[in-house]
Amino acid sequence: MVKKKRSFEELASVAEPVALKETSSVSNLRTNLEEIKAYEGVIGYILRNSTSASIELKDPTKVIDYAILSSSALDASEELSELFSLGEVKDIIVEGKNVKVLSLTVEENKISIFMDKDVDCERILRKLSQP
Amino acid sequence: MDSEAYTFALKNTLNEIRNVCPDITNTFMFRENCEIIAGDENTSKKAMTRVVNAFAGILEKAASIGGVESITIEGSNRRVNVSHISDTYFVTIASGKADMNHANTVTRILIPTVLKLLEKICPTPLKNSSHLTKKRPVAEPSEEIAMEEPKETEEPEIKPEPLLPEPPVTQLLVENLGGLLVASDTVRVDGQILSQWEDFHERGKIEEVEIETFDGKTTRCKVKPIKESKYERKGTIQMPEKIQLALEIRKGELVRVKPIIE
Repeated sequence: MVKKKRSFEELASVAEPVALKETSSVSNLRTNLEEIKAYEGVIGYILRNSTSASIELKDPTKVIDYAILSSSALDASEELSELFSLGEVKDIIVEGKNVKVLSLTVEENKISIFMDKDVDCERILRKLSQP
Repeated sequence: MDSEAYTFALKNTLNEIRNVCPDITNTFMFRENCEIIAGDENTSKKAMTRVVNAFAGILEKAASIGGVESITIEGSNRRVNVSHISDTYFVTIASGKADMNHANTVTRILIPTVLKLLEKICPTPLKNSSHLTKKRPVAEPSEEIAMEEPKETEEPEIKPEPLLPEPPVTQLLVENLGGLLVASDTVRVDGQILSQWEDFHERGKIEEVEIETFDGKTTRCKVKPIKESKYERKGTIQMPEKIQLALEIRKGELVRVKPIIE
């Protein structure tokens, strides 16, 4: 038991800076996403990683559909990347008749942003790449 | 022109698109019900099935965004583009340096034109292999055979009964079927598809189907209509685990299903 405890402590001391860095990165992402959410035509976003998920949508009735759509798009991109050697997937855009979805992975965070069709995705991507 | 000729015509068109736009490495088409129509010579059936399966989740929830018009996956080496043209999805995989404006212009003009042309020349093959099969007169196929192979019809052969049309093959997505009262030798198919098969053959109730995987494994089993409304009109086949194991397939994979007519 003592041995186990020590190893946990050792792990904790090593893992701490990484965890802090990750928290800060997620926090930056959240800040950027909140700013993006205020852009004209942006409906909301879904941010998830292995430990947490946040959904910010203007229309709460669509949460489940949008969440499934988001994860399906990201899963499909992984499958196709493997199948056709696409390389590192930069982004996925699913364009509907009324709404489009921009999905991407930043480190271990999976993001989907929902917006009207005429919103400029490039502007959003530039914003997300800001530190 | 039968469905094979129809697929052949489309396959050639897809190959030509790759010739016109050499940066396009793979192209294929599938219907809204996830049925694969045709692919170029570079793209295997297995790869097409995997892609269709991968997109099934997106297409299922597409109603929430007003239906899918296009999907773009941008990779560091290549990109995937899916366009919704008429009632079909057209998939292209192109290298990162490809001029997508040129490629899109070519495909958006060529594909609808060829589809319209083929539908005008022969509207039936479009519906022949899908689960939207229409009732066809029993005598019609024997007339087609008579036109294509005159030598055979010249022989004074007396047939005991009219030639049956080939059973319509429908591609369906596998869903799990479980529970205490579920028979392990029975699959469940949309009642509408069963009625269409029954109408097509005018031979009463369809009680058995033949299932074929894309790996070529086949099995024959009993069939009943789907009970749960959430699986209706989704192009699915509910299958007990035992049959899935026998066919070496899993939930989410596509299979070909045709009724057994005896």
